[in-house]
Amino acid sequence: MNKISRRDFLKFIGAGSIGAGAGLLYGKSTKKTVELLLPQVIPPEDYSPGIATWYNTICQQCGAGCGISVRTREGRAKKIEGNSNHPVNQGRLCAMGQAGLNALYNPDRIKSPLKRTGERGNNSFTEISWDEALTTLGSRLGNLKIQKHGDSVYLLTGGVRGHIDKLFATFMEAMGSDNYFHYDFTHPFALYEANRIIFGEEIIPYYDINNANYVLSFGADYLGTWISPVHYSLAYGHLRQGRGNQRGKCVQIEPRMSLTGANADEWITCLPGTEGLLAMGLAHVIMNDGGYTGSDQNEWMQAVTPYSPSVVSRQTGVEVRDITRLAHEFMKHQPGLAIGGGHTEGNTNAVASLTAINALNYLSGNLGKPGGIIFNPEPAFPNMSIKRQANYTQMLELITAMTNKGVDILLVHNTNPVFNLPPAAKFIEALHGVPLLVSLSSFMDETTALADLVLPTHTYLEAWGDDIPEPGVGFPIASISQPVVKPVYNTQSIGDIILALAHQIGGELPVALPWTQTEDYLKDSWKKIYQERTPVDATAGFDDFWKAALMSGVWGENKTRPLIKFDRLSNNQIQKIHVSQPSFAGDEKDYPFVLLPYLTQTFYDGRGANLPWLQELPDPMTSIVYSSWVELNPKTANRLGISEGDVLEVQSIAGTIRAPAFLYPAIRPDVIAMPIGQGHSHYGRYAQNRGVNPMTILAPEVDDTNGALAWSATRVRITKTEERIRIIKTDGVTRTLGRQILGNNSVHT
Amino acid sequence: MGKMRDKLKQYLKPGYYEKYDYHWGMTIDLDRCTGCEACVVACQAENNLPIVGEKRFKERREIKWLRVERYWEGEYPNIKLRFIPMLCQHCDQAPCETPCPVAATYHNQDGLNTQIYNRCIGTRTCAVYCPYEVRYFNWFTYKWDEPLEQQLNPDVTVREKGVMEKCTFCIQRIRQAKDHAKDDGRRRVRDGEVTPACVQSCPTKAMVFGDLNDPNSRVSKMYKNPRGYKVLEELNTLPKIVYLKKADSDV
Repeated sequence: MNKISRRDFLKFIGAGSIGAGAGLLYGKSTKKTVELLLPQVIPPEDYSPGIATWYNTICQQCGAGCGISVRTREGRAKKIEGNSNHPVNQGRLCAMGQAGLNALYNPDRIKSPLKRTGERGNNSFTEISWDEALTTLGSRLGNLKIQKHGDSVYLLTGGVRGHIDKLFATFMEAMGSDNYFHYDFTHPFALYEANRIIFGEEIIPYYDINNANYVLSFGADYLGTWISPVHYSLAYGHLRQGRGNQRGKCVQIEPRMSLTGANADEWITCLPGTEGLLAMGLAHVIMNDGGYTGSDQNEWMQAVTPYSPSVVSRQTGVEVRDITRLAHEFMKHQPGLAIGGGHTEGNTNAVASLTAINALNYLSGNLGKPGGIIFNPEPAFPNMSIKRQANYTQMLELITAMTNKGVDILLVHNTNPVFNLPPAAKFIEALHGVPLLVSLSSFMDETTALADLVLPTHTYLEAWGDDIPEPGVGFPIASISQPVVKPVYNTQSIGDIILALAHQIGGELPVALPWTQTEDYLKDSWKKIYQERTPVDATAGFDDFWKAALMSGVWGENKTRPLIKFDRLSNNQIQKIHVSQPSFAGDEKDYPFVLLPYLTQTFYDGRGANLPWLQELPDPMTSIVYSSWVELNPKTANRLGISEGDVLEVQSIAGTIRAPAFLYPAIRPDVIAMPIGQGHSHYGRYAQNRGVNPMTILAPEVDDTNGALAWSATRVRITKTEERIRIIKTDGVTRTLGRQILGNNSVHT
Repeated sequence: MGKMRDKLKQYLKPGYYEKYDYHWGMTIDLDRCTGCEACVVACQAENNLPIVGEKRFKERREIKWLRVERYWEGEYPNIKLRFIPMLCQHCDQAPCETPCPVAATYHNQDGLNTQIYNRCIGTRTCAVYCPYEVRYFNWFTYKWDEPLEQQLNPDVTVREKGVMEKCTFCIQRIRQAKDHAKDDGRRRVRDGEVTPACVQSCPTKAMVFGDLNDPNSRVSKMYKNPRGYKVLEELNTLPKIVYLKKADSDV
């Protein structure tokens, strides 16, 4: 470093933090004139120059609900680490979670409330005051309420849980509307439904990978994007090397190698959408070898009869000997787990497939024991948010209501349906029927860009909230989200906005929601937990309890659920276990490839694309940065004369997009894959006009059973264009070429 | 220069570091590592690594003190992908240290290979000599779009154009732990008291960091693991990171 001038120095510290600079200068100048420079007249108690303060709060980058500790210095957030008290992530944190700072200090955040001035979608907004914004919205809502049209108010949010979810629900109920939905593209609808069919409860249980000896995963990318990746990664590390000589085996079955596939001991591909059939094939082997002797044996026998290994082998493309071997291994190495997710969840037979995968757990007796599936006790407070998740078919109902002018005000919070719904849903078109679209978001995403009124929210690092992680960890826990820094811009927390609106509207709303600050609301809500659940240390008052909870960031209770006996399933349940062939949009002749859009560790469903650290983070499987690409098998590419960087036209019955080809050695020759996340038309400088969004060419195929979007069920054809670009990636040579970089021949432990 | 050569001879003597308090080392268990790259972002956040932008990335000017390399093995369908986090190995006989004309990179008494930014004149010789290719040169002075600069770690220098930089094993954290130990009246830092950002974040606990002079430290014990090996050991650079090979399944 060259000589640092004082000017540079201040620049590094940050122009906004003159206080910090002054504080350091103060240290130097004390010798002469004590009175000259004071950092702050009355500094906050947790602010001392040069010393870091850590705050525990919750990560809200995905739905896993990890606890985080944020390091702050001089009132600025500096680093996010996992909260070591938190049972979900135990001090660890993924790339996305750590990049939360980029969201907080994002230069493209919405800096104050906005009102649309020009045509919708022209991106012409004018800044207004919070008073005006809240009065405008409050009076519109109030008018509807007086006219008894409260039910024409719709609220659509991402995946909020805990008391913020309850706040939304109370608000909407008081408005007289039951149109409160969640829309999260990544929500595992099929898994919930499959669990309801087999276990009788619409839940995600605790998958105890930690103690499993065999993990048979049908597409579930549990180390990358599936449900709670950090927790499962911890468990995976333990399974590999944490148990002495007992190293568990991981098998991954999927058409395109995911991060989990790369780490599995065995990676097997089957035809897209036939994972459930394969599971039934395994069940067939288990039944016929006498591996299951429960009292409902005969019913099971009947259920698996059509799925003999030879039939299943033809349907899935997996060899008979592999089917029998996997079944035998699975039964021999107990406890084991069969889990399904990823593309298995994106097919038209998803619920049936996941039910069949669940059946394997049932048949092998893995329910309710360590290393298998453990059921969670009642959460600390009711988790209603799962029930509010709207799948594609339910979203279509909302869209129909919008088109038919049944929606007077649509409030959208932290979800981006314009980006995450296939165009066939006609969400944008339906907005013409909505007189007032209000966006409650921190960023100018595609949906917010179409809004009439924008009420910018705090990021999760500036706001109060709480959470009950779903899935739980085997015992009830709840965690609190607290502001770690002062708001960076003129934004408000979503809780405060709702409370302010309630007071603005009047009537029974302020009665139902008497609080003016989210913090007070939370405290009052947590008093219930304190009263009902902490008899152990009743001597400490609530304030002490609250402080302790804030300091540790998480509250837990030593309570497990008594084992539920699954002696037999009802005849009815077993009969439901039937997997049909998946169907795809587009004729195989015209559209020879199945398109597999996949969630990435960096952008997830696209929400991470505005964070520069994630844009610059090489994709774990391809090392590509800053763009979109089309993955195809080198053999396919060779046959079609395609090499890396050739821009391909990917065409489905729903549309066409263009992206460069990337030769991916671990993908079936009959499928192509594309990452989801890029292709934003808005969403700030780091995301905008970069790559393509594969959602835009998805056909509106839905699951046969629950009507969720079958996002892996679109066929495409690819055409090479004249254009060619250089894909930006960090990898050079991706073979070791005899160098002992990875060690000599692998050894047995 | 003669003085430097003498010093160097001293460093190379076996047991040189033992008389000092610490000899920091690391192990990375490739059987645990999933290649998720949490460590990469952790490093970027902790050490003020610049956001270089798409254009610079295209020119291969990216700066990632820690990167995850990937190597394919086999062909479809019997194909595997292997990950290996690659960072400065803090070699005890570091090839990057000898050629520097201004001695900007040297071995400190804790056995760390360190870079003195304000001594560096940017000849980039060290980067050429490094067989692990973990030295990164600042071809530009990078800017943070306001207010992203508010995130910058005040404990770590922001580098400017013309300076070479590399992994420091989070020397600021080591420094801090030593200070804490001193404040507590302890002579030594306890095992596990220092965790570089990458080690701290690792979701599978694949990385272990500690003092090799302490035979009871976790890292010393992991060093003895039969799966252990050092990358490009044959160059006799004496790297201080021991990787533990990926194991095969017994099943």
